[in-house]
Amino acid sequence: MTDKAIVPAASEFATHYAQRRSSQDRLLHGVYAATFVVVVLLVTIPIAALIYGSLRTSAPGNPGEWTLRNYAGLFTEGVLATMGTTLWIGLVSSAFCIVVGTAIALVVHRTDFKYGKFVNAAVGLAFYFPSFILAMAWIIIGAPGGIYNAVVDGILGMPWARADIYTALGIVFVMVLHQVPFVYLTMSGPIVSMDAIYEEAARTSGAKPHVVLYRVTLPLLSYSLISSFILTFIITIEQFAIPALIGIPGQVTMLATQLYLLVRFSPADYGLAAAVGLALSAITGTAIWAQRRVTRAGRLTTITGKAGRVAPIPLGGWKWAAYALCFGFVFLGLVLPMVMLIYTSLLKWFTANPFAGMYTLRNYAFIWESASALRSFWNTLVVSGIGAAIGVVLGLLCAYFTLRLKPKGYRALDLVASLPFGVPGVVLGLGLLWAYAYLPIPLYGTLAVIIVAFVTRFLPYATETIGGQLVQIDKSLEEAAWVGGATRLQSVFKVLLPLARPSVQSAYFLLFMAFFREISSAILLYSASTQVISISIWAFFEQANWGLASSLSVVATLIIFAAMSLITWLVPTARRR
Amino acid sequence: MSINVQNLVKRYGQVTVVQGISFQVAKGEFLSLLGPSGCGKTTTLRCIAGLENADGGVIKIGDGVVSAPEQGVLIPPHERQIGMVFQSYAIWPHMSVAQNVGFPLAIRKASTAEVARQVDDALGIVGMRHLKDRHPSQLSGGQQQRVALARAIVGRPKVLLFDEPLSNLDAKLREGTRLEIRRLQRELGVAAVYVTHDQEEALSMSDRVIVMEAGRIMQTGTPKDLYRRPSNRFVADFVGRASFIDVQKGPDANTWIAPDGTPIRLDSGRAEAAAHYQAMLRPEAIDLIAAGPEGMRPNGANVLKGRVYDSQYMGAHTEYLVNAAGTTLKVHSTQDFGPGSDVLVSFDPVDCHLVAVEDQAAKAA
Repeated sequence: MTDKAIVPAASEFATHYAQRRSSQDRLLHGVYAATFVVVVLLVTIPIAALIYGSLRTSAPGNPGEWTLRNYAGLFTEGVLATMGTTLWIGLVSSAFCIVVGTAIALVVHRTDFKYGKFVNAAVGLAFYFPSFILAMAWIIIGAPGGIYNAVVDGILGMPWARADIYTALGIVFVMVLHQVPFVYLTMSGPIVSMDAIYEEAARTSGAKPHVVLYRVTLPLLSYSLISSFILTFIITIEQFAIPALIGIPGQVTMLATQLYLLVRFSPADYGLAAAVGLALSAITGTAIWAQRRVTRAGRLTTITGKAGRVAPIPLGGWKWAAYALCFGFVFLGLVLPMVMLIYTSLLKWFTANPFAGMYTLRNYAFIWESASALRSFWNTLVVSGIGAAIGVVLGLLCAYFTLRLKPKGYRALDLVASLPFGVPGVVLGLGLLWAYAYLPIPLYGTLAVIIVAFVTRFLPYATETIGGQLVQIDKSLEEAAWVGGATRLQSVFKVLLPLARPSVQSAYFLLFMAFFREISSAILLYSASTQVISISIWAFFEQANWGLASSLSVVATLIIFAAMSLITWLVPTARRR
Repeated sequence: MSINVQNLVKRYGQVTVVQGISFQVAKGEFLSLLGPSGCGKTTTLRCIAGLENADGGVIKIGDGVVSAPEQGVLIPPHERQIGMVFQSYAIWPHMSVAQNVGFPLAIRKASTAEVARQVDDALGIVGMRHLKDRHPSQLSGGQQQRVALARAIVGRPKVLLFDEPLSNLDAKLREGTRLEIRRLQRELGVAAVYVTHDQEEALSMSDRVIVMEAGRIMQTGTPKDLYRRPSNRFVADFVGRASFIDVQKGPDANTWIAPDGTPIRLDSGRAEAAAHYQAMLRPEAIDLIAAGPEGMRPNGANVLKGRVYDSQYMGAHTEYLVNAAGTTLKVHSTQDFGPGSDVLVSFDPVDCHLVAVEDQAAKAA
């Protein structure tokens, strides 16, 4: 048959075809358009508002003029000093975290250490231990009037050993305790999934186990190490609760706390705060860009899919060092703070001497009796439960469109959806504060604005978690469904979603936990009726009501740990995050 | 039903991977697309399936146009009624064997009883009925392959498409499955397109083979045609093993001159017009004779002096590399020769084919 014979048949056919154009196609494109609009609005509104705010002379909603003085304000001595402090605390903390976290990961996964499972579980718990609760516990321990000083000075009579948590080093110390589990988790993946063949080749070449570690294993992990270092740096400098609780009394200011101080305490300067927020975002944004470059370069090299079983490295004489490292971290990062919180929550009046304490359960009774405490629990459940569902649906849609369907403009969606990674929580809160002063929707002071803030902030986590699994689902599985007669939508529901279900569940879990613990993006947005648990605890602690703050913290932590064990038990794959 | 591909063009950005190829597959015919990776064979298959949108040309399945981008026609795959077997099998891990096979029926709203009956049939055909309640993770590679086959045939598709379906099986299993696929296709009597880079597979299974390279068809023909009378050097080299002697025009159409001046009589029938030519010899078409007294030479054959410089023992025969006529010839022989032996290389002119050489290939050789 020639061209001429079949082309007329084709054009005749085209008319029929046009009529049959699937309505499902239109539906899918409608959903894509809606996703695009929602994501773009969520992300760009606070950022645009922040930029607008940084160029205004007045507070949000008040008449003012255009100005550049806020940017000039960035170069005053005070702000420059804050930037310096932020950078050095960030770098020093990250360096310690990388060493400690990687060391624990290597001990657990690569040596004959006996309690690997226990340490793995404990560090996993510590990962979900909220930063503001950890900071509070360490303030109770290390404040000038805290337990540690009472013990060394008052009981042991060693005044030279006194310490003060309200210092930059105190921030670094708590920051390291808080961030080590993150490093441990990000490094465990590469360490476990590294192809054993490289290490086996080194061993058959005559290298001793520890030589293999230094000459082969660690160099092969270098990209992961750098990437993990940068990520740790980012979450350190955008961390809000630790520098706020420890740094504000100690007058050590980081950028995130500077922003908070500028907004919360008079004379408030919203414009300068916006400029500070943008400067902080610029730093985190640059760091994220660097991290992406590193992972892209590193993807080609070491890690294959094959998980290898290498013979564990015998610890020998280093056994005690390994015990000290792993159990020491679990003790300082999890056990001691928990014990201190429980202790404090049971005291009528705070005392460092447990034998002189008057014990009571009234702090727990108060939670029951206090309408505001109960309401903050309820608010938290609503925000976490509903917000996480919204976040997961958005994340799933973003992942599907950017990784699978790839319609026109999907790259833009991908970029926009990943932007919140670079925006610290407190900066996002400020952006929304600016935005809702001008937007016609009465969102300010509602739970909805808190959900919006949380969903925006954690959207990239949902997208990454789900996307990570979507890319692993072989495209031919979907194609086989199309060939078998399924439309795009049918193949999504019959093949893609069932296969991606574990990642959807773990994304929900991840967001639920993150929302439950989140404080930095809510701190500038809450009102009396929209307090969440984290804010309530924070407020009690600021009122120096350590007992109530502790009892609430204990309850919140128990809920987090219970939810975590429940979900790990229900969804084994969630454990990976 | 038949498949008709006319001037198919597929581009990825600036790169044109299928450059306007045309072919037909008759009802009941088994056609292979053979070529090295990146030659456009899989893309062609995926355009027929509708998994890729073609950029030009027309594809018809039976009487229906399924792809004619210039006319705005691109029927999605689920409306093309095809059966396809994927390289990775694409067995859905969250469904049982029966659910996998029944999917094409269930999605078209067949009744439960009808689905069950046809699934039983299809699984019976591939000998997997007893495993229908298993999950894919409990199946071996060969069994997954059979499930994929059953799923491809269950909806009574108009055409069957295969995308390198055997490349993940081990050698023994592969041979059995080849026969099986061929048997199935004959029973169904549908047109089949089979993509492979394995020439043995293409030769043993196909009614016709299309050899592709760089998005173009190099030659179309029956397996015997391709092997015995390749029309250019690429096909000769890609299909089977071969040696090549650079030749210049000689006194008549069937006598050409080797680089060392030896005249070689050959069959020049099929060669395309080209700037350069080579004489192609299959290793099994050459006889090796120990250099000895005159008169032992067969009549009418080309006889060249040569020297064995290396050999590989293959069991059934030994492959010798023999320096002769200014080049190196691969020769299969059951006789034993030591390295350095002087030999006579003899071959029938009928077995020596003139092939056209593209400039590029000549340089590479």
